[in-house]
Amino acid sequence: MMKQLSQRLLGPVTFVLLALTLWLGLWVTPSFEIQGDLARLVYVHPAVAWVALYVSFGTATIASALYLWRRTRSMLVDRIAHCAMEVSVVFILLTLITGSIWGRPAWGVWWAWDARLTSTAVLGVFALAYLALRRANDDPELRARRSAVLALLAAINVPIIQFSVQWWKTLHQGATVFTTDHGLKIHGLQAWTLLISFLGFTMLFFWLLRARYRLEVLRDERSNALVEEALVQRRREGVR
Amino acid sequence: MPDADAAFDLSPVAAPPSKRRGRRRSIGVVALLVVAVLALLSQGLLHSLNYFETVDQAMHSRASLGTKTIRLEGVVKPHTITRTATGASFWIKGGGKEVFVSAHGSPPQLFQANIPVVVVGHFTSRTSDTFYGTQIMVKHTASYIAQHPKRVKAPNGTTR
Amino acid sequence: MIRIALLVAAKDLRIERRSRVLLWQVLPFGVMALVLAGLALGPQHAGHSSAGPGLFYLVMLLVALLMINRSQSIESSPGTKASVATLGLDPAGVFLGKALALMVELWLMGIVLLGGSVLLLHTALRGTLSALPSVLVTLAALAAAGALYGALSGGGQGPATLLPVLSFPAFAPLLIAGERSFSATLHGGTIWQWWVISLVALAAYVGVGILLYGVLEES
Repeated sequence: MMKQLSQRLLGPVTFVLLALTLWLGLWVTPSFEIQGDLARLVYVHPAVAWVALYVSFGTATIASALYLWRRTRSMLVDRIAHCAMEVSVVFILLTLITGSIWGRPAWGVWWAWDARLTSTAVLGVFALAYLALRRANDDPELRARRSAVLALLAAINVPIIQFSVQWWKTLHQGATVFTTDHGLKIHGLQAWTLLISFLGFTMLFFWLLRARYRLEVLRDERSNALVEEALVQRRREGVR
Repeated sequence: MPDADAAFDLSPVAAPPSKRRGRRRSIGVVALLVVAVLALLSQGLLHSLNYFETVDQAMHSRASLGTKTIRLEGVVKPHTITRTATGASFWIKGGGKEVFVSAHGSPPQLFQANIPVVVVGHFTSRTSDTFYGTQIMVKHTASYIAQHPKRVKAPNGTTR
Repeated sequence: MIRIALLVAAKDLRIERRSRVLLWQVLPFGVMALVLAGLALGPQHAGHSSAGPGLFYLVMLLVALLMINRSQSIESSPGTKASVATLGLDPAGVFLGKALALMVELWLMGIVLLGGSVLLLHTALRGTLSALPSVLVTLAALAAAGALYGALSGGGQGPATLLPVLSFPAFAPLLIAGERSFSATLHGGTIWQWWVISLVALAAYVGVGILLYGVLEES
């Protein structure tokens, strides 16, 4: 019953958190020194990037690792990995797009080949490659195994993206929340709005993952039903 | 006629200790990977992928840079910005050094004094310390401070 | 593992020697690609361009894709798969053997195309010869990565577009390291850090291949 309740509440809670982020971010919080209203994108871009790199890609990576470990190998974790990776693609694209929209007026360029942007783009390509690999294999086990290996190889990119602003001199600024000296670089209502945006987009990921997973289960059931039907027809032809 | 049983030895053969060997190999490979990554992360290697040179770094390696196109990073000195018909000229500073920049093209929206910038361009000659810029990018910080009309500014122009 | 690796490498190289696909198909493609690169630069820029090293590596990447596909299609043929399974060959040894054979083939192609880059892209002869060691290391790393990603893409049985899609994000750092060390050798600059990146990538792909190749090939 708790499970059903939490599933029913997921959508409304996500909606409320995102609506709150929008309201606080656009109307209630003050604008910023230097960047003015432009920096209101801080309530979208970091949260979307957080979900892309850690929540969705992390879910796909963990599920892939679980699939490769014999004790936890199952089609359930394979489906979760696949669905999480699809949602990852969406969030990585959103990260790059919102970053680009912010970068043009702030930096003066839509795109720069600095370490963080480049490694994020590479992660996006890896995620697309994962989806391409899944389409290329019909055998479910072979498909699951190969995509799991690719997900683990791609996950090497995530710490590179995270630490790129510390390891190298980059155009992209450093961390605002998870700083090296553990000090926050955003305060008051702005910090709270940032936190709400992180929660809202994380809930959005889980809502999308659940919807995508249900779709995948229905797709598999339909595919199995079609195969059964075809087999029945073939048997009937054989009898005639 | 030879005995059939003696011709073929059909007794069970013990399986090779592949599992133990496999585990040792995996540990060895993981150790090799860790060493490789640590080697990569050591300071000297990381600098090779830097997006820009700071002013003091550029002045230090002035001779080897020549007129090669680089990205130069520094903070715009206050009261030095002059807008020209084709762009802007200003001084940038970093690590105790300063460079005069003559940039072509309009600077971005956030361009102003006391802001870090990255200028794409080259020194005008091997001996000159004037930097000709073809593009200016603003490198804003990760601090988000709310605007307040009564905020106190430090003598160097920064706010907290 | 080493013995199996040498056996597999010898098998692949023997097949190549008999079929001469490298000589009659891949090599002409590589040379043509270099010619097109020179044409694309145009007569004004081809002689003075610093794009030579980058174009050389771009052509090498395209050549490597053809060779990785060929290497994997040998492995995917029905007789070979059954033999490997029946003989119980150590997958790590098979991976090392494939990587070794691919490395030798890429080295041969690389040496010829370096000559081509001197002639067609006008990279300095002395600098190009000095860059040879770093080119060989980068191509070795490319071979190791290629053997892994070739298995991942399912060899010759997968769609032709799958291998580039899977492997290009992984090849990108090798391309950067190779191009930078080649450029530094030609135009001056420190090269040792690019060497180390290529060597680390080589060690990493060999290590990951030894660990995971068996998972990819198990049935």
